[in-house]
Amino acid sequence: MLRPTPMKHVRLLILNEDLAEASLALARTQCFHPDPRPPAESRLGERADHAYRDTFLQARGRFDKLARLILAEDESAPPALQPRVVEFAELEALNTWLGELWTKASSHEEELHRLDDEDRLAREQLAALANFSDLAIDLSILRRKTRFLDFHVGLVPRENLRQLQDALGLAGYLLHPYMNRDEQTHVVIVGPAEEREGSLQAVLNAAGFQSLPIPRDLDREPAERRRDLEAQRARIAEERAAAKQTLERWGSGFRERLRAARETLWLAEPLVTLDPVLRGSGPLIYLAGWVPARALRGLEQTLRATLSHPFDLGSRDPLPEERRLVPTVPNRSRLLAPFSLLVRQYGIPEYGEVDPTPLFAITFLLMFGSMFGDLGQGAVIALAALLFRPRLGRFWLFGVLAGCSSMGFGLMFGSVFGSEQLLPALWMSPLHDPLHLLSLALGWGVIFITLASILAIYNRLALGQWSEALFGHHGVFNLTFYLALIALALGVSRGDGIATLPLLLSTGSLLALAWHCWGHQHEPPVERLLVVTIDTLETILSYVSNTLSFLRVAAFSLNHVALSIAIFTLADMLHGVGQAAMIVAGNLFVIVLEGGIVAIQVMRLHYYEGFSRYFTGDGQEFMPLRLAAPEPRGAKAPHHL
Amino acid sequence: MSAHASDAYLDTRVSLMISRLLDADAIARLAQLDLPVLAQRLGLEALLDEQPSVRARSRAIEQSLIQLLLSELQVLIRPMRGAEHELLLAWGRKFALYNLKTLLRGKLHALDPQHIREQLFDLPELIRLPHQRLFGAENVEELLRLLEAGPYRQIARQAREVYAQRREPFALEAAIDQHYHISIAREAAACEGHHAAPLRTLIGILFDRIDLLWLLRFRFCYKLPPSETFYHLLPSPGLLHRKRLLQLAELGSLEQVLAALPGALQEPLADCTNLAEVQRSLDRLSARAIEQVLHRSPSAMARALAYLIRREQDLGALFALLQGRLLGLSQSVIESALDLAPPDCRWPRAA
Repeated sequence: MLRPTPMKHVRLLILNEDLAEASLALARTQCFHPDPRPPAESRLGERADHAYRDTFLQARGRFDKLARLILAEDESAPPALQPRVVEFAELEALNTWLGELWTKASSHEEELHRLDDEDRLAREQLAALANFSDLAIDLSILRRKTRFLDFHVGLVPRENLRQLQDALGLAGYLLHPYMNRDEQTHVVIVGPAEEREGSLQAVLNAAGFQSLPIPRDLDREPAERRRDLEAQRARIAEERAAAKQTLERWGSGFRERLRAARETLWLAEPLVTLDPVLRGSGPLIYLAGWVPARALRGLEQTLRATLSHPFDLGSRDPLPEERRLVPTVPNRSRLLAPFSLLVRQYGIPEYGEVDPTPLFAITFLLMFGSMFGDLGQGAVIALAALLFRPRLGRFWLFGVLAGCSSMGFGLMFGSVFGSEQLLPALWMSPLHDPLHLLSLALGWGVIFITLASILAIYNRLALGQWSEALFGHHGVFNLTFYLALIALALGVSRGDGIATLPLLLSTGSLLALAWHCWGHQHEPPVERLLVVTIDTLETILSYVSNTLSFLRVAAFSLNHVALSIAIFTLADMLHGVGQAAMIVAGNLFVIVLEGGIVAIQVMRLHYYEGFSRYFTGDGQEFMPLRLAAPEPRGAKAPHHL
Repeated sequence: MSAHASDAYLDTRVSLMISRLLDADAIARLAQLDLPVLAQRLGLEALLDEQPSVRARSRAIEQSLIQLLLSELQVLIRPMRGAEHELLLAWGRKFALYNLKTLLRGKLHALDPQHIREQLFDLPELIRLPHQRLFGAENVEELLRLLEAGPYRQIARQAREVYAQRREPFALEAAIDQHYHISIAREAAACEGHHAAPLRTLIGILFDRIDLLWLLRFRFCYKLPPSETFYHLLPSPGLLHRKRLLQLAELGSLEQVLAALPGALQEPLADCTNLAEVQRSLDRLSARAIEQVLHRSPSAMARALAYLIRREQDLGALFALLQGRLLGLSQSVIESALDLAPPDCRWPRAA
């Protein structure tokens, strides 16, 4: 369970005629992770023809836009996909049809934009009306060109106002801003009837000027005019609703065909995904990738059953220098899925490294439960996780398990909603013997650090890093020193004095580490000595501080009891409803705040005291080629799962 | 990081980075090297070996130089907050706007998607455009509408409105350029305290150069009327402020414009007879002024921006040199492009 899934590097040589079929077959097996590296054979160059990919990308872009308009509220489950090859001609025809459909759809959309603009102008006119009504001049002259003067009324982006004002000044025009609204300014432009340089329109266009039509009946009562404008806005709203309905009706006629288009695109996608890794020479196509070893036979059988022309499938074990490129198959257990997500926040295990997920799940639950042990509060966490299951996604199980762990330790501590009177402790209350609890936490820290160091050594041996496994951080000599130091400390604490063997082992391993460090320095001797001394001191201090770091496991356990006591003390000062409210609110406070802090502290201990010792997280995630669509009912699970 | 600490950090960073800049002698020495030695000196051998054609090599070099510049921008931007952060980001967005123009030209001229893709620069997440979505747009309006929800909102909206009214590529690109520079001026104006005055000086240097070149180009090459020419210019916080631009835009010839320039600009440009000469003289002038900011400004922020501008000029010179070598151009042409020698071809006199 901790070991990675063994992988093989495969090289597939096929004929061009079989390429589409092969991409589908590879996608269906869900076990082929493409390797983009070019082959050693220089004759197998990059393919120049990307027409299929380009057509697909354009078609999918068009489909996505249409789907937003037409399939937005389509909640029918897509039918199971029947794999078939999508030929280029079919894809091209689909792209053309989608293009034509989008042209029509965008004209509907344009109509909506037009109505929005019209509505905006009506709103601006309504706003302008108030301003116009205060002016003591005959505004109807603004509507017409006079013999000598020309008028323009409209909007201009506020950002362009100053520049436009000056530019118009050069052309002999005056610009008068009379109102600011949002990012627009309402302006009146007045100038000679015959444009001085014939460039007025060019400047106005460059400045994004929008003309506001001056109503013919401006001299009517403002209230009357306002009613007209409001009626106009109501008409626009109706037209908008009608346009949306028209779009809806028009689109419903294409829904079925669009669903079929979606399926076609799903089927064409694997070939497009493979496009960057394909190499070829004449009719020969080369592609390479990584496949779980146990899926190899199934892959070959599928290809044999699918391809109509001969092909060559070669496989080999990953080379040592390729280790960083080999993808790691993630843990698929549903139970471990939320823990796997948390591990991935740190990184993906490098191929060959131990996958820490199962171990992390166990230690996380043990530590969370022991730091937040309470039967009632644990039950609340578990129930809340169940209740909010749809919202929490895969994390609901995490909440349930954490809650259950808390309940288990609650039984052992005899704590129910902070009260230790309701249930006898199966083991003991943390506050009854704090020193014992602190010793246990330290013991747990020693086990945790030892386990992490053993995993670090194993990982380095698995990666062939012998020197690192012996002398590196958390390697064999470090671990020997640490365990000997613990033995020494235990002897002293028991009053047995300093034992000889641990002393020899700790001194010897420390000297070996210092010697190794000395050999790897290239500085002058004094500087070297300084570095080695600091390095050795750092080794001693870091192990001591890392072990002491685990005291927080006991500290939070004690803290939990102390907080509960505080809540009950406050509740005892109140009576009746007040008392009950204090107990409920206090428990909620503890669950939310302390529960959150404990979860963060446990994560911190795992990331810094655990993962940082043995887990590089530099791996690649296994992302096999697959169909985006649901598989047909009764389809076999992928071979490697 | 506190304001003082981040200033000290930025100052130190810029001081360290200045050693990477090339002076005229260094460029002259590099200009004497042939391509293999030059590539080795600049660490570009692998890049040149991997690419099959001259065009692909040139593209890879340009991409690599831009990435280098933007990686330095990311280092400088790290301790910044608020308006300072936004200003450097606004400056860096020019590379994203190069990509936007490429995409727009692709849509306007219905170019092959592969060809467009090859012309796009790979940019850091910080300023990258959503290329895949933009590729899916069927026309210019749709493309610009897609950009209206994000940091390019102002530029995209104004460009779309201008394009909707005029339907011409020049107006579209002019609107993009103008609003890019306006966004820089806006962000610089938002920087307060001891950064404000030095930044105004630096933006003044930049805008003075751009204004004079655009003024001469729009008025006398494109024959635009004064009002339209003025509208496309950028009121500078330096020498070419609003009033002066208004006066200059009304003048009828290059000579009249040069004669009406303020003293600090008039003297160095007095002998210029065409736009190309004006550009060369202006480049020298602004490079000197930027050097002054870089070495003497009390504002770490202004020094950081000045460094990026100078670095961009250097990388531009290196690109010109490498490009010249790749294309097998003569030494004299390359030296003239690097402003190491006067051009050996005659320019027609401007009207």
